[in-house]
Amino acid sequence: VLSADWSAPTESKTLTAATDRNIEPVGPHFLAHARRKRHKRTFSEDDRI
Amino acid sequence: MSEEESPAQRVAIGISFGNSYSSIAYTSGEGKAEVIANEEGDRQIPSILSYVSGEEFQGTQAKAQLVRNAKNTVAYFRDFLGQDFKSIDPTPCHHSAHPIQHESTVAFKIKDKEDDTENTVTVSEITTRHLRKLKNSASDYLGKNVNAAVITVPTNFSDAQKDALSKAAKDAGIEVLQFINEPVAAVLAYDARPEAKLADKNIVVADLGGTRSDVAVIASRGGMYSILATAHDYDVGGAQLDEVLMDYFAKEFLKKWKNGGDPRVDDRASAKLKLESEAVKKALSIGSSANFSVESLSKGFDFTCSINRMRYETISSKVFATFVRLVLNVVEKAQLDPLDISEIILAGGTAHTPRIASSLASAFPESTTVLAPSTSATAINPSELAARGAAIQASLIQEFETEDIDQSTHPMVTVTPHLARAIGVLCISSDESTGVFRHLVEAETPVPVRRTAIIATPREGGDVLVKICEGTRVIKVTKPEPKANGKAADDSDDDEDSDESDEEEELREKTYKVENVLAEAALKGLSKGAKVELQINVAADLSCTFFAREVGGKVAVRGGWKAPGKA
Repeated sequence: VLSADWSAPTESKTLTAATDRNIEPVGPHFLAHARRKRHKRTFSEDDRI
Repeated sequence: MSEEESPAQRVAIGISFGNSYSSIAYTSGEGKAEVIANEEGDRQIPSILSYVSGEEFQGTQAKAQLVRNAKNTVAYFRDFLGQDFKSIDPTPCHHSAHPIQHESTVAFKIKDKEDDTENTVTVSEITTRHLRKLKNSASDYLGKNVNAAVITVPTNFSDAQKDALSKAAKDAGIEVLQFINEPVAAVLAYDARPEAKLADKNIVVADLGGTRSDVAVIASRGGMYSILATAHDYDVGGAQLDEVLMDYFAKEFLKKWKNGGDPRVDDRASAKLKLESEAVKKALSIGSSANFSVESLSKGFDFTCSINRMRYETISSKVFATFVRLVLNVVEKAQLDPLDISEIILAGGTAHTPRIASSLASAFPESTTVLAPSTSATAINPSELAARGAAIQASLIQEFETEDIDQSTHPMVTVTPHLARAIGVLCISSDESTGVFRHLVEAETPVPVRRTAIIATPREGGDVLVKICEGTRVIKVTKPEPKANGKAADDSDDDEDSDESDEEEELREKTYKVENVLAEAALKGLSKGAKVELQINVAADLSCTFFAREVGGKVAVRGGWKAPGKA
């Protein structure tokens, strides 16, 4: 529920640093991920193709 | 590139190559993975080769030779491949040809030719012969020459071992398209079923084999798998269960035939004892009792004895407990709690044992599904999981150019940042302390990731504040109020025992603690009972965009934050 005096926060926060891990290069979803990564596409670009 | 290797000409299968058994599988036209039976009708083909006056036997036929022809029979050799002689453990080969040092590698001295001379055959050559046989069995079945495969390996297989296996396969006429990890193949075999639903979940794969057991904790996120922790134990496996039975039957034999001699001491008797004990163990996984029967077990005495499953479970309870401990240790190693595990996939031959599945089910909370034949009707045969997973992967990549496969599996692609904390939205109340955190993206999810969720809003509608925050999972332990003695039991006396144990039990739940509010967005003037659709996109550099809108509404609120370390 929104209080009356709410205003959009101005400061921007960031995520906690991520840890690097290895994805298993297996399965259809990985292959889709590899395709996106190699062609540097985003999800919505990939959806359109 | 030779013509055989061009993608169009490829016929690829999945091979699961194990120390004790190997399996081959292909993917049918409808995309269903099927395990191929060899010409003897075996789907689990013993990884054993035996030579009798120049003739080669493999599989079950070779296994039978362990009794009469142990010196010319090679078994349990997979883990020797690409290894230094000093680093191998030859214990499993006690009943067959012993491994010896040969230059930088491991070899066996066997009479594999007609002329009765002992030849030194390297483990690599043995593997080639074994794989060639598997390839031929698959080719015969499919009616096409199989020339490529995806092979499963344990997660701790070194590059040297993979290279050696790759070379041995090449000599057998098989192009290895990719090596995939055994536990991941098992997960893939389950996820590829048409009825499977993709979900974000943590899975434990317990691969209980003959001479070793491997356990892995895998984070499955949107169909992508990351291994969080693994453990390998060479001291627990089916062989330990065989030993328990061997001891039991040997003692029974001695009781019956006082001057029969201990069958465990004599080589041939103990080989017979071992083969029959393994068969009894398998029968006890299916039926509730089994017969042990060996002709002329020791000193010419026949021996027949029956055992029921209850007795077997009692004498091997120690081994079962070590399996459960192994699984719990890996969950701890992954810094997770049993509550975080949604599924346990049991793989490997030993996983057929009903008691192991039920022991694991009781060690984990009820929310955890144990996928084994005895605990789940939809479970896949544990022995076939790795081969099926490999077959599915083979069908996915067999059209690819070799170069494409190499590029896709390169660390540049596979090493990806994984979120350290879950991202979610705070519901019910805007206050961090009383709000309920609903996760959108789980921790350990690889980025980039996109998730959409529909959230309910307060019944009266109006203005709503959407708070996106990071959360960590905490285990909430609540102790139930101690009940007053006597009054607790609801008049019935026979409940008392269970009530007493209940009192000791703590209630553990999984909840989220809000750590860090990332963004806030306000939606004004929602209609009654409206639902809000929220989509969040985390990019590879951890920058993020999200939008929120009322379902059916046209106006969306957008927002986002930048990557860490950037102004």
